[in-house]
Amino acid sequence: MIQVEKVGKKFGAVTVLDGVDLTVQPGEVVSILGASGSGKSTLIRCINGLEKLDAGRITVDEFDVSNPKQLAEARKRSGTVFQLFNLYPHMTALQNVTLAPIEVLKLPRTHAEEEGRALLASVDLADRADAYPAQLSGGQRQRVGICRALAMKPRYLLLDEVTSALDPEMTAEVLNILAALAKQGTTMLFVTHEIAFARGISDRIVFLDKGKLVVDLPTDRFFAPDGGLANPRIAQFLSKMRPHRPEGN
Amino acid sequence: MKPVSIYAEPEKRVLFDPSILMAHLSFLAAGALLTAQACVLALTGSLVVGAGVAIARTSASAGLRKAAAVYVDVFRNVPFIVQLFFFYYGLPEIGIYIDAFTTGVVALSIAGGAFASDVIRSGILAIDPGIIEAAEVSGLSKRIIFTKIVLPVALRTSIRPLGSVLINLILTSSILSTITLNELTGSAKIVAADTFRPFEVYAALLVVYAAFTYAVSIAITLLHRRQNRYLGGKVT
Amino acid sequence: MRFAAFTWYDLVLLAQGLGVSLGLFLVTSLLGLALGTLWAVIRYYRVPGLTPLVAFVAELLKNSPVLVQLFLVFFGFPAFFKLNVTPVEAAVITLTGNTAAFIYVIAVAAIDSIGRDQIEAARVFGLTRWQVLRRVIAPQAAAFAIGPLIGLLVNQLQVTSLISVIGVLDLTKIGAILNLRTLKPFIVWTAVGLLYYLAAKLVARIGWRLERRLSRYSAWRGL
Repeated sequence: MIQVEKVGKKFGAVTVLDGVDLTVQPGEVVSILGASGSGKSTLIRCINGLEKLDAGRITVDEFDVSNPKQLAEARKRSGTVFQLFNLYPHMTALQNVTLAPIEVLKLPRTHAEEEGRALLASVDLADRADAYPAQLSGGQRQRVGICRALAMKPRYLLLDEVTSALDPEMTAEVLNILAALAKQGTTMLFVTHEIAFARGISDRIVFLDKGKLVVDLPTDRFFAPDGGLANPRIAQFLSKMRPHRPEGN
Repeated sequence: MKPVSIYAEPEKRVLFDPSILMAHLSFLAAGALLTAQACVLALTGSLVVGAGVAIARTSASAGLRKAAAVYVDVFRNVPFIVQLFFFYYGLPEIGIYIDAFTTGVVALSIAGGAFASDVIRSGILAIDPGIIEAAEVSGLSKRIIFTKIVLPVALRTSIRPLGSVLINLILTSSILSTITLNELTGSAKIVAADTFRPFEVYAALLVVYAAFTYAVSIAITLLHRRQNRYLGGKVT
Repeated sequence: MRFAAFTWYDLVLLAQGLGVSLGLFLVTSLLGLALGTLWAVIRYYRVPGLTPLVAFVAELLKNSPVLVQLFLVFFGFPAFFKLNVTPVEAAVITLTGNTAAFIYVIAVAAIDSIGRDQIEAARVFGLTRWQVLRRVIAPQAAAFAIGPLIGLLVNQLQVTSLISVIGVLDLTKIGAILNLRTLKPFIVWTAVGLLYYLAAKLVARIGWRLERRLSRYSAWRGL
């Protein structure tokens, strides 16, 4: 269980997160929505320890991310997929996927490579396992990024706007994989702009505005006129987003 | 002191006769080999020292950063020959007796390390921080991140400037001839004295060094192209 | 009894050596600056015959050890040209040539950095080639080149230490003499190193002052 308690974070004079509470149970798929600058990415970066908290507490399976000794354990339980892929440029796709399992989980190389190839095959990249990131398309790189996160067999998958840097075609590729993962029961915490997608696969939707958690509702309640949409800020936000589905659906 | 002309029979002199070098070719080749050995060892040493100092200069500890900055400052602003003499004449005073070759390699490594650390540090600073973040959240230790990700990427992007460091080492190695090491320049001095033809010898030597550094710069360009094919697509 | 201890006069000797080093540095830097700029201008005007020659000589001097160049001039020229060359003369010739080669590269880059459009505009307005060079190219090129120039000069100051090998009584040679007499290498070479270090810092500081003054005239750099 990921537990976020009254988390606050400031960058200089700007308050980016203010008293955010959130709980993610194993098996849940939670999407975090909000305008740019609302603190969504920062929240994810606090959970995986890339940003230090100014206030509050985050625990991943009871391991406190603010405690340097427990952070390593917390990180083992979560995997992160990044908006800009962040693949290691000097390593092949397979090497990207197997580096952490070999070095951190201490898996033997052949074992790790077998599993790595299987993962890459599951995202249709079996034939590109020995390609370098520079030789892959954006969508392919993100798929490698997903495999890299999954290779550590994390309990929780953190996804930070993973399709924002992709064109529509590649976005669809990646979203399909994520939908499949959600169906398999992977616990996922998304930050995304893809409203329709979030609506399609999430169990819960969390809305952040200017660092504050505005609502935390099950998906149907969020999109119900008397639920999330009743909140003027949310209604305004949703109306400004491009419709992903044709009207009348 | 004015050098007195020792050429007593001007009418017998041929104007420019590089062929006299042929007899001494094997001796000069031995000197060239020594230069090559010293440079390869010194390059390795410079990379090790340079990487270490670059780490120190980007470390979180202010003391380490200052110490490294001072080291680089000193060894870039003091002439190499002074550094060399410092080690060559000084080390025996404190009981360390090493031969001229080793002293030369050590001095070259320390001086080269100062230049290499600048290059490697730039390479480290140019790394996309997102990559480091991805490595951190995977649970990789700082040591692994440094040895398997930071250094390999930094070195690959620094190949060109490190090539300049190597060329610099090759040229600076000629100074080792002043501590009785018979590398290429030292051997040439002996040949020049033996044949009484310093002009031909040193002119040829000039061309040999220039040709050698030219070959090295071409090799560096090829290496850069090959490594960076996988790193970013844009080949310069 | 060997007079092996340090005396106050040794400080005078070091000062003299430093003076010789700095003097030769200044002279060869100025001469090298003039020569290297001339070579760059030759390249700019694409003088037939001279341009490739100049490029070749510069490459040769840049990519070969200064020590070998010194030996060539000091030992080789007397043998070949049958004229006697004193150590100081050899030092001046060699260091000037070596400095010029590096100045050539910097000057070429500086001149190339100025857009052709400016030069064309100036020509269209009726300025002669010489006026273009003096009024349009030179000031901008100087501002561009001053950074690399400072780095080069600091380096060339270090290079002057090699003239001690052919017998010039510069700072390094004085150090060698003192070392031989007192047999205290750590003290001697640290003192010599310190003096070179301070001289290098001085050159760099003067250079950066000059840079600031020059950049004041290129007002648009502030945009």
